[in-house]
Amino acid sequence: MQIKVLLFGPQAQIAGQSSIEIEVVGEAPTVADVLVALSEGEPALAPSLSVSRLAINQQFAAPGDAVRAADEVALIGMVSGG
Amino acid sequence: MSNSISVQLIQGPLDSDSRDHAAIGCGAQVVFDGIVRPQEEGAPIIGLKYEAYEPMTTRELMQLAERMIAKHGVSRICVEHSVGLVPVGKVSFRLIVESKHRKEGLQATDEFIDEMKRVVPLWKMAVHGQ
Repeated sequence: MQIKVLLFGPQAQIAGQSSIEIEVVGEAPTVADVLVALSEGEPALAPSLSVSRLAINQQFAAPGDAVRAADEVALIGMVSGG
Repeated sequence: MSNSISVQLIQGPLDSDSRDHAAIGCGAQVVFDGIVRPQEEGAPIIGLKYEAYEPMTTRELMQLAERMIAKHGVSRICVEHSVGLVPVGKVSFRLIVESKHRKEGLQATDEFIDEMKRVVPLWKMAVHGQ
């Protein structure tokens, strides 16, 4: 399944773009599967993924949550508000 | 969402004094202004550029304010945060916490900021001069 992941702040800067398309194996991938695919698709992001979370449709998601093709997926990491 | 919480994302730096008077019954109003410093990670900057992921950012700030009101018993929380460029010396973040007594106001302020910096989808990027 092809998934588009939105990127922000330093992670967008690392990837050089505000979103990344990744290929995730299987028809019912989980958040954990997407994070693995992200680290493989954009190795430069790998070090920051352990302190990042995915948001699915603008809600923080758990590693076991399902990701569907129509979902809006965003990588929320290295936040620095305030 | 109750009227004891206000969250605003504002383009550019925040006004120097945009706050309302404290609600009746509050003996304490804690106002925290976050100001852009002239250095970021040891290097001189001319400002910080802030990015949000709306509407998730506003919702997460409101939910954080709700948790702080529930936990600390404070009366009102107002949050303002810049998006876009904020020059050095200008305010990029304002947190106003109103409470009956100062103890819970100071505790809620400190915990709100810690949690915001840990989880809320907001990012700052250094802007360097030429």
